[in-house]
Amino acid sequence: MLVRVNLGLREKTAERVMRLTLFFCLAALPLLWHGEYALGLLTLMAVYGVLLIGLDATVGYLGQINLAHAALFGLGAYGAALAIQSEVPLPLALLVGIAAALIPGAVLALPALRLEGPQFALSTLSFATLTVIFLNESESVTNGALGLSIIRPSLFTIVLNSTRFYWLCLLVLFVTWWASQLLLRSRFGLAIEALRDSPTATDALGIGTLRHKILAFAWGSALAGLAGALHAINFGYLQPAAFGYDLMVILLLGVVFGGRRNQWGAFAGAAVVTMLPNLLSNRTLFSSLVTFGCLLAIVSPIRTLLSRKMPSFRQTAPVAAMGGALALALFASNVEEWRKGIFALFLFAAVVGLPDGIAGALTAILRKVICFAPDPLPVATGGIQPAKNGAGLALQALNLCKSFGGVKAVDNVTLEIITGETHGLIGPNGSGKTTLVNLISGLYKADSGSVEISGVRPIPGSLMSACSAGSARTFQNLQPFSGLTALESIMVCQRYGGISEAMGWLHVVGLEAKARLRCSEMSYGDLRFLEIARALATRPYVLMLDEPAAGMSKPDIIRLVDLVTSIKRAGITILLIEHHQDVVAELCDRVSVMDGGQLIALGTSDQVRRNPKVIEAYLGSDETAIQAKSEIGAQLC
Amino acid sequence: MNAEFLALAQMAVGGGLMGMAYALVAYGFQLTYAAGKAVNFGQGELVMLGAFTGLSLIGIGLPYWAAVPVAMVAGAALGWFVERAAVRLALQQRNEGWILLTIIVGLFGVSAAENIWGRDDKPFPVPWPEGALEFFGISVTWPELAIASGALGIMALVELAKRYTMLGIAVQAVSADPDAAELCGIRSKSAISLSWAVSGAAAAFAGTIIAPVTTVGPTMAAALTLKAFSVAVVAGLDSGFGLVLAGIALGSAENLSGFLLGSGWREAPGLILLILALALRPQGIFGKKIIRKV
Amino acid sequence: MKASRFILTVLLSTSLSTGAMAADVVKIAITGPFSGGSAPMGISMRDGAKLAISQINQNGGINVGGTRMKIELIERDDEGKNDRGALVAQEISSMGDISAVIGTVNTGVAVMGDKYYVEKGIVKIITPAAGSASMTQWSKAGTKDLPIFRFAAHDGIQAQMVVEQATRLGLKKVAILHDATNYGVSGRDDLIEQIKKQGGKLKVVAIEKFAIGDKDMTGQLIKAKVSGAQGILLWGIGPELAAVASGKEKLGFKVPMIGGWTLSMSNFIDTAGAAGNGALMPQTFIEDESIQRARPFIQAYHKAYGVAKIPSPVSAAQGYDATMLLAEAIHEAGSTKPTQIKASLENLKTTVKGAIADWKKPWSKWDPQNVETHEAFRRGNTVMGKVMNGRVVLANPSEKVVLEGKRVK
Repeated sequence: MLVRVNLGLREKTAERVMRLTLFFCLAALPLLWHGEYALGLLTLMAVYGVLLIGLDATVGYLGQINLAHAALFGLGAYGAALAIQSEVPLPLALLVGIAAALIPGAVLALPALRLEGPQFALSTLSFATLTVIFLNESESVTNGALGLSIIRPSLFTIVLNSTRFYWLCLLVLFVTWWASQLLLRSRFGLAIEALRDSPTATDALGIGTLRHKILAFAWGSALAGLAGALHAINFGYLQPAAFGYDLMVILLLGVVFGGRRNQWGAFAGAAVVTMLPNLLSNRTLFSSLVTFGCLLAIVSPIRTLLSRKMPSFRQTAPVAAMGGALALALFASNVEEWRKGIFALFLFAAVVGLPDGIAGALTAILRKVICFAPDPLPVATGGIQPAKNGAGLALQALNLCKSFGGVKAVDNVTLEIITGETHGLIGPNGSGKTTLVNLISGLYKADSGSVEISGVRPIPGSLMSACSAGSARTFQNLQPFSGLTALESIMVCQRYGGISEAMGWLHVVGLEAKARLRCSEMSYGDLRFLEIARALATRPYVLMLDEPAAGMSKPDIIRLVDLVTSIKRAGITILLIEHHQDVVAELCDRVSVMDGGQLIALGTSDQVRRNPKVIEAYLGSDETAIQAKSEIGAQLC
Repeated sequence: MNAEFLALAQMAVGGGLMGMAYALVAYGFQLTYAAGKAVNFGQGELVMLGAFTGLSLIGIGLPYWAAVPVAMVAGAALGWFVERAAVRLALQQRNEGWILLTIIVGLFGVSAAENIWGRDDKPFPVPWPEGALEFFGISVTWPELAIASGALGIMALVELAKRYTMLGIAVQAVSADPDAAELCGIRSKSAISLSWAVSGAAAAFAGTIIAPVTTVGPTMAAALTLKAFSVAVVAGLDSGFGLVLAGIALGSAENLSGFLLGSGWREAPGLILLILALALRPQGIFGKKIIRKV
Repeated sequence: MKASRFILTVLLSTSLSTGAMAADVVKIAITGPFSGGSAPMGISMRDGAKLAISQINQNGGINVGGTRMKIELIERDDEGKNDRGALVAQEISSMGDISAVIGTVNTGVAVMGDKYYVEKGIVKIITPAAGSASMTQWSKAGTKDLPIFRFAAHDGIQAQMVVEQATRLGLKKVAILHDATNYGVSGRDDLIEQIKKQGGKLKVVAIEKFAIGDKDMTGQLIKAKVSGAQGILLWGIGPELAAVASGKEKLGFKVPMIGGWTLSMSNFIDTAGAAGNGALMPQTFIEDESIQRARPFIQAYHKAYGVAKIPSPVSAAQGYDATMLLAEAIHEAGSTKPTQIKASLENLKTTVKGAIADWKKPWSKWDPQNVETHEAFRRGNTVMGKVMNGRVVLANPSEKVVLEGKRVK
């Protein structure tokens, strides 16, 4: 049906060409089309572009609703305005604007970014409200509600008329776009995606959720400040109320409608937000656009209906929303007065029906129509290296205790693992094995006792600290980075090395062929192997595997045993929790047994298997066995 | 000295009474959070719409005592609508899209109110006498008293219903563990919808008792959502009557800071407190800490 | 397919119609807050102006140099917000075919937006905005050729009258309560200046500020009460003023309220109810059908808009008279070009009979040293009004002559 055009271009190159063309056209516009008003709108669009790219860092990439962005925009604007009033040269004023947003943003980030979801949204909303109050009340500095006026400064000796200022804003947008793309499509961007999918794994593998969140938020805030500075120079007049909740909602509309996690989306959103008020005053044009949107929305539910199924809420809600907007466009006596309502309807349709926004939808269509050349994959290098041997004990956990409420999950457990040893940890369900590993890896803070990894004492309760001390782990319940591909999952965990080294790690676990497969599409067994590869990529001293064979098929278990053996041969210390006793027997030098939170046995695999306490823990005591036998016997007789 | 103290006391009392309204709105948050771990970021708009509905009903001739319950029914319907349109999808997908969606629905509510009722603030007629009562030199108006008694009354009513009716107990079961409740034959979807409906009714009621003091207008509740959130977070989203104490405290603090620092600063302490509370003790003073499980 | 054809037809017909109309219309823009707290004033001003326009158009339009031209109206809502006002002004001044603008209620909007009109030389008659800053910004800037005129009793006059009234009532100590906008702050400054000018007979014991949207004025009122104020001088807009009135009632603080003309806004009177009775403010127009001159306008307004009460009578009457004056100026200029209209406005030959007064050369050539050259109203045009049972009535029945008679210079 659809013709696929093969351009022989890589997607990245195609995007770059498109971007350059766009900016070239935008820059040429004032030369072709004269009109102060239009130029004013274009400048506004450029400024909003910078602003929305910044907002996308938190809303799109971090996936958090950041309600402080408009306030940071305002702070940047006021900072730059005050600098300009003090005769500071223009480039420096831009920096002041950035700092005016960045510093309060950083102060906000520290408490706020430990929070998720609604709490994060709330704390940012409080900050935004406080900022407007502060700007209003600091009359001696900001002139309060009366507003602050500035005269447009010159750039060094160049007078900035409308066209030249527009070009300046366009330049800033271009640089911002390029820098954001670079930042957010690099390892940094991968880390941000990872921390959304599994914050625990991200910390446990040493990537660091908090630092990346703070950096992303800081980047967004800096851009807000920069946009604010441009805005102050553009308008020449600032008022605190202009940077409140109303603006924030408009910005959210832009980012979501345009497309999250996408600089093109931010730009599209900026265009929509700038043009929308003018669009609303031209009823015919607006009605036509809304009709078009309605028709688009209705395609999906009609298709579902035709295949004799009920369309879901996701399909019908956008139609209802766009239908409402159409009704307003046609019947409302004054469309302008319904502006907020129309924004709301558009935004609703976008969030529910077009989650990737316009840019996302268009990209999907483009990808279907054009066949892009795939990025080539380098050859795998590296692999399991012999471990750096630390001194003495690789792991020393002394007298660890952890209680949850009244339950003693770990009761005075001491575990010492020699460097290079493969140490098994077994015990019935609920014996505290995973809790012990959680204590060692830093997920929980022990009530008492200490942990030393290769002679280093990590901060208790800190996953990052334990990882930098040299521990790495896999998880009993898989914690994949579902949004990343297998290759990306490794790359984000690696501390040194590039794509070829990452391919090397995939090769070690046999997943080389699936490098470009998204984790959400990988099989259970493959994900288990990927978790091991991730852990290995951090080059740990101690590798802790939490039931790696759980739920695996027999062939995969054989592969697993081979893998662990090769890890063992390289000299890496391993702590292995497992229920499969044959795996334990084959791999482990020594085994510790836990039951009811306590360590009940320690020895070689054979010793432990014959230990009566261990048998009792797993199978129950002889007395109960005899009693059970007699009861069964009685019933049979 | 005495006049100064009396002035401070006046501000504190007036604020505290108003704070009970915040507690009532925060109570609505508690109800929906307990059911489905979601809150309505547009709750303030429901308060406003409830107030307007009550105003219109009185306008067409309904007596106050009939208008308020009917407004509450309208509020319940709106609450149900918000859940259906903005929350259910996100809960099904187990993400937090409801934050943005409830904001959006609230935004539409403001726009609709502006166009249906106009953008001006209107007075809300009440059957209480005009003028104020004096207690120990402090003036309290009848509407302010109505806020306090109404808020406490509704909260008590709902708490009793939760504990002593079958429906209430079913909802509590769903709050504790929706899957287990389903296995017992309780439809958790319906229980969640019910919680949202009750939350909407509470919000509408809050609107009718606040309106006489603040007048009814599309922006009357813009700040209310955030204040109610402050109360809910500081007290804890599962703290029951802790909300009342937190509400009174916040209302008094607001009024006092406005009086002492200047009216522009009145909201500042509450907001700073909210950020600190979220940072240091997100589960609230009265709430329980959550344990991470891997 | 039907939809696109329909859309195409509509697009074509609108473009054709605008083309056809271009020849014999004179385009006038009306801007103001049609939403928000200042809306009653904006809407009344607009509706008063529209009443005038419909009457003119019904009589065939303005005679511009022999051709009869109808007035075409463009409306823009600035929402009472300064930034929106700036955008609106930018938009209108870039339209290219607008001859004149009437409007603006909020001083901040005038301060922010009017520069675009000055840049393009488009004539603007500010009404009913009263803040002094709207005009003094031009005398301060020393602008030589000013196309901006004001048709309202500015705050200099109003503050003078408020202070006179307070003194007349025998008050010695007063509190000033004002809002945080340009209007409130400059009003406060005007009051303080007037008190000094009139011999310092009043002592200001408290100056309190409130923000737009504030509902609880208890704090400010307590401070005023505690400092012994015998009267409150108010400068703000309707909703907040009503909050002051009801707060006063609550505290049993029964002192007179005297303030700017915004105390006549319907949203003050309706919201404050009985608590607002007795509030005093300067007015250029009273909605009282017993005043002969005012009756035709009042009746026409009520009939045209189906209301029994004008939301802001002063705004409506000023909108009406300003439009009449503008129409006369266009006629005398014999052109729709703003520069010529401006010259004509500065030198009106015919006396225009308005709802407020007979206007005889209300404006003269702009002199940056003397703002009054572009101010139409003087102290003699203005009377004191009083709120009584839901309406504004003459505070001093003896001042009725002012409203009936000719303009006093």
